[in-house]
Amino acid sequence: MRFLQIAAAHLDICKMTDQSRNAWIIKDDPRLVSARQKDFFVDILDDRRHTSDLAWSLRQRDEPKYQYNKPRSPAEVKGHVLKSDRVKYAIEKTMEETGKSLEEVTKEAVYIVDEMAHNLRVGVIRCFAMVLVKVMKKLFERIYVNEEAIQNVRAMLKEYPILLMPSHRSYLDFLLMSYVFYHYDLPLPVIAAAMDFMGMKFFGWLLRNSGAFYIRRSFGDDQLYWAVFTEYVQTHICNGDSPVEFFVEGTRSRTQKSLPPRIGMLSASLEPYFKAQVPDIMVVPVSMSYDRVLEEKLYAYELLGVPKPKESASGVFKARSILSENYGNVHIFIGEPKSIRTYSIGQISRISHSISPRYIASLTFREQALIQKLSYDVLLQQIRNMAMSPWSIIAAVLLQNMDGISMKELLKEVDWLKRQASNLGAYIDWPVNESAEAVIRHNIFTHKNIATVTEDNVVELIAEDTSLTQNQDPLFTSAAQEMMVCLYRNQLLNVFVRVALIAIPINSCVQETMPLSELKAHYSLLEKLLSREFIFMPGDAEKDFDVALASLTHTCGVVVENDCVLVKKSINKYTTFFSQMFEPFLLGYWAMCRYLLSIEKGSHGKPLVKLPKTISKEAQVLSAQLIRDGHVKRKEILSLDMMSNSLQALYDLGAVHKEKREGTSYMYPNLVLLSKLTEDLCKFIDVPDLPRTTINVDTKTVTVNAKL
Amino acid sequence: MSGITKQTSLKSSPCASESDPPSIPKRRQELLKWNGWGYKDSKFIVNKDNHVEFTGERYQLSGHTLTLLRDWMIATIGISLDHKTPPQSEITAKDMPPPVRNEEFLADMRRTNISHTDDCQDRLFRAHGHTLAEIFTLREGRFKRIPDLVIWPINHNEVVKVVELACKHNVCLIPFGGGTSVSGALECPANENRMIASLDLSQMNKILWVDEKNLVAHAEAGIIGQDLERLLAKKGFCTGHEPDSMEFSSLGGWVATRASGMKKNIYGNIEDLVVHIKFVTPQGTMEKSCQVPRMSSGLDIHHFILGSEGTLGVVTEVTLKIRPVPECKRYGSIVFPNFEKGVACLREIARQKCAPASIRLMDNEQFQFGHALKPEAKSMYTNFMDGLKKFYITRIKGFDVHKMAVATLLFEGAKKDVDAQEKRVYEIAANFGGLAGGADNGERGYMLTFAIAYIRDLGFEYYVVAESFETSVPWDRCLDLCTNVKDRLHRECKERGIQFPPYITCRVTQTYDAGACVYFYFGFNYRGVQNPVQMYEDIEACARDEILANGGSISHHHGVGKMRKPWLRKTVGDVGLGAMRAIKEYIDPNNIFGNQNLMVGEPEDHHVNTVRNVVASKL
Repeated sequence: MRFLQIAAAHLDICKMTDQSRNAWIIKDDPRLVSARQKDFFVDILDDRRHTSDLAWSLRQRDEPKYQYNKPRSPAEVKGHVLKSDRVKYAIEKTMEETGKSLEEVTKEAVYIVDEMAHNLRVGVIRCFAMVLVKVMKKLFERIYVNEEAIQNVRAMLKEYPILLMPSHRSYLDFLLMSYVFYHYDLPLPVIAAAMDFMGMKFFGWLLRNSGAFYIRRSFGDDQLYWAVFTEYVQTHICNGDSPVEFFVEGTRSRTQKSLPPRIGMLSASLEPYFKAQVPDIMVVPVSMSYDRVLEEKLYAYELLGVPKPKESASGVFKARSILSENYGNVHIFIGEPKSIRTYSIGQISRISHSISPRYIASLTFREQALIQKLSYDVLLQQIRNMAMSPWSIIAAVLLQNMDGISMKELLKEVDWLKRQASNLGAYIDWPVNESAEAVIRHNIFTHKNIATVTEDNVVELIAEDTSLTQNQDPLFTSAAQEMMVCLYRNQLLNVFVRVALIAIPINSCVQETMPLSELKAHYSLLEKLLSREFIFMPGDAEKDFDVALASLTHTCGVVVENDCVLVKKSINKYTTFFSQMFEPFLLGYWAMCRYLLSIEKGSHGKPLVKLPKTISKEAQVLSAQLIRDGHVKRKEILSLDMMSNSLQALYDLGAVHKEKREGTSYMYPNLVLLSKLTEDLCKFIDVPDLPRTTINVDTKTVTVNAKL
Repeated sequence: MSGITKQTSLKSSPCASESDPPSIPKRRQELLKWNGWGYKDSKFIVNKDNHVEFTGERYQLSGHTLTLLRDWMIATIGISLDHKTPPQSEITAKDMPPPVRNEEFLADMRRTNISHTDDCQDRLFRAHGHTLAEIFTLREGRFKRIPDLVIWPINHNEVVKVVELACKHNVCLIPFGGGTSVSGALECPANENRMIASLDLSQMNKILWVDEKNLVAHAEAGIIGQDLERLLAKKGFCTGHEPDSMEFSSLGGWVATRASGMKKNIYGNIEDLVVHIKFVTPQGTMEKSCQVPRMSSGLDIHHFILGSEGTLGVVTEVTLKIRPVPECKRYGSIVFPNFEKGVACLREIARQKCAPASIRLMDNEQFQFGHALKPEAKSMYTNFMDGLKKFYITRIKGFDVHKMAVATLLFEGAKKDVDAQEKRVYEIAANFGGLAGGADNGERGYMLTFAIAYIRDLGFEYYVVAESFETSVPWDRCLDLCTNVKDRLHRECKERGIQFPPYITCRVTQTYDAGACVYFYFGFNYRGVQNPVQMYEDIEACARDEILANGGSISHHHGVGKMRKPWLRKTVGDVGLGAMRAIKEYIDPNNIFGNQNLMVGEPEDHHVNTVRNVVASKL
């Protein structure tokens, strides 16, 4: 329909000039590609740039309603929660356990629900929408949405309750999600938000009135809170008041990869299906891809351990300066909805919930396992549906050419890498009607704070952010700069991680041939090691390996004969490039291992226990020393995120033990396993020969042994 | 067929209190339809004016034209009068498997003087109950296995004799009462190679004595519901047990399937009514030695018998509680703004333990259906809907004709008690937005349940397959179960590409302290569908899965038979199933009562069996 309108608008011009070959064509140039409609995406800002925002925000909205919905106000929802069997039961239990009076405990419950509840109001939404659209127009060139999926969602909304599960890489995610739903006349989602927003004076109120409900970050075994939270979420699902939106990653992925799923919210949301309170629930994964991330600098510093400023109103106003910048395009891909009923066919039997009241019993192990699997599936689907920006590819190439690269060379490399990503199934947002150089220049311009083209056509990373040098360790300032590039490369890593984990052992192999069984063992070790860093479906290692190996042998020149990899023939540009993309991670992990091996022994030969945070921080100090001493070049190993991921992975592998003391977890290395792992790591990458060094960590002295 | 039919001349036993001829003749097909529900003279037809008319003179609807029904069927389920599927005209001997003959058994039978036959039509009639698959087979196909002999014992001793001979010669016995089973229980197992004899108890139809002091009556198991009530009424009594099939179903059948009557709120279900049972098994007769209201004597042997579905033996005589015929009987109805409110109201009535003899809540679809059954204006039917529209809809806003639900009520008892109860029920209803909807509307609701079995045969004529199924469920899950099962049915129909909207409706048909019984009707227009029966059964199986997932039961009163065997293990667990099998193993080690219902054999076999047992010729 829209196309017709455009056609009509251009008809006159066409008639006047009459240059076209026939009347059917109005633009006689194959290169004039519509930017408004691109593949399956449609730009929803385009309309807003031509018609009145006010009329748009005040217009009559035709929202679909869930078939079994009973209309009710946010206040009625609260009332329902407090009167529910589940909350009543929790109140009784709490009274028994604490000896508090009914009045006191009820008051607590009321407080919790007041703190939590959203207050979705059309009036506020309309005003907010109008402001939001203006902001969006300032920030972004285009907001692309795969429109076909919207129609699908629209039909589905009437039939079943919906869970929206967007990827989480920016604060803008939920604003954009609501914006899209507003734009398409869909009921605004209610969004599970973290408490940190609530403290913000105006913004907290605004979000609450636009459908955000606030959940404490951790509420462990507070059964009253748990009951109120569960009931609050579930009543929205059972009555289908609004789509319920939350982030399966739990928090924003500062690294721009994806975080391993947290299943608490998902379990609570799906429980009504397992307890047969609703006929089905639809889980809709949504992928939000940004050409340029609003928080790039913030993330870079956070990853390095500069504490993030608490969200405050003034922070938002400061954010005004961002409005003057261009953040390129956003791609929002609404994925294929998953029906939990279909997903669980043959996996679980809901009968087990028949013999006790539904508000008491919890989910079975099988159900929890299924939810876990679903959460990974959602994440993997989010990843698959990301639109890859050219800048991600440029960033990956630049990071392997830290000293700069000529435009000509860059063009070649980017084109090569783009093809590889595409072969592995990535959607690359590459404009077809522009020259490759124009695309690259445009992207560098968008990211002019990170990279630049010199006069002699060499593309370089900008070394240092001058505005922040005072009071900062220059190492960290430049590391932050490098980290920002990494954020964009990271988006690409999800595409390559499986093939890279095969390429690394091949690339570092010193034998003539490597049996596939050995390669598979290496792969599975690397996958386990990096399981906190990237998303792997638990139990799918075998399958993933086979698929990845097939792509390597099919298109990347890896040669397998008689179940052996012919190493010499297989080491080539592909394997080398893929390996190098991931080497910084292995290097960082190695640094963590080295640090852990150096921890002093206590009085009885057992290593001293430390807080995980402390371990990460101290490992970072070691890395910093390694960089300063020139042993290591990659500054991204300073990432605390990488350190804590590696520590967790080592714990998962049994190389680090956990010990609870007074309710806090401490960790200490399992030296035997750890040194074995460290040796394995050294086989995969070149590591510096460490001299015996002494590093000053705060006031303590840590000795690092060169050899064990 | 060789004439081995033997008739005994005994008309009635000396102790019979009544001497009416049996309501159901030995040759059932002379009175009843051979391929459909009920009496031959009563059926829905489309008359020359293209309107639906109910023939015969037996029922209130008989001779009436139902002017709204045709349009309702067209609109609701997409039938077209131009697309008919008339049934095959007959199934003759050549279409039936030849009987397996156990000559020694036959020789012994001839010596006993017990009436029996191998007439093929008599055998065919006892090869089935009334499930969709069975009736569809009668209309369109043929059975792979039917009984090889029909035996009509006339008293307990004859049954004992037959069972003895069957044991002696290893003949499979399948007891047959009223033939109204809807669980596949009467179907002959296709893998049965022995001779199968159908033990038809229809001639054991006497009330043997009535004990007014203790208010119990002793009757033979073959007596059908309407006869039992009619004969007792002559003496001023009733049992009050009124299952929807009471015109045809038998006392023994009720015991064997754990039947439930619509007035159970006053009289109780069959297990509450039974005082004594005489049960003939291959090990001999099992019965209690006394006729007491209750006793503590270990495991209750009555509970082996109740619901044994013909797998352990055959019920020959039953002592039942009776009550004086109530002074007053009154219908009523309540209109609710929606089904949810209605369920809440029924729950409250159950909580206060003031439920009338019967209380049922029909959803909107069923309410509309009931409305479509209204005959053309005849004085006895007040035009309820018009009255409603005028009075309630306009004056009390918020009643959506497409949402409201109707509860039908039946009060019984002394007049003053009925008055008081009526008042109380309507008061409670008012708290849930319910408005009294008049007696006629209530009565029509009950009529629907009797008429619907006949209506299904009309549906068959127009590409519609339909069936009912039921469950019991705790109160807190009642609404969710109704919603989810309906949703599942709709979804399964859609996913299977059924072209027309299915008809799906439910009612809460019984209330208990801890839960309710929910009854579903499900039918669809199968034009364009390859194998409608298979598809229907697959979808109903999905619905049963959904029911169980929603905390509902395998069955409230229809029983397990062969159709619901796949859910029995889930229902009673490994130990429960093992215990049932152990009882079978002791009582009937040679599987003489070999209908393979319930716990006997693996459910997986069943599916293959039904498929094998039915050869659809047209499809």
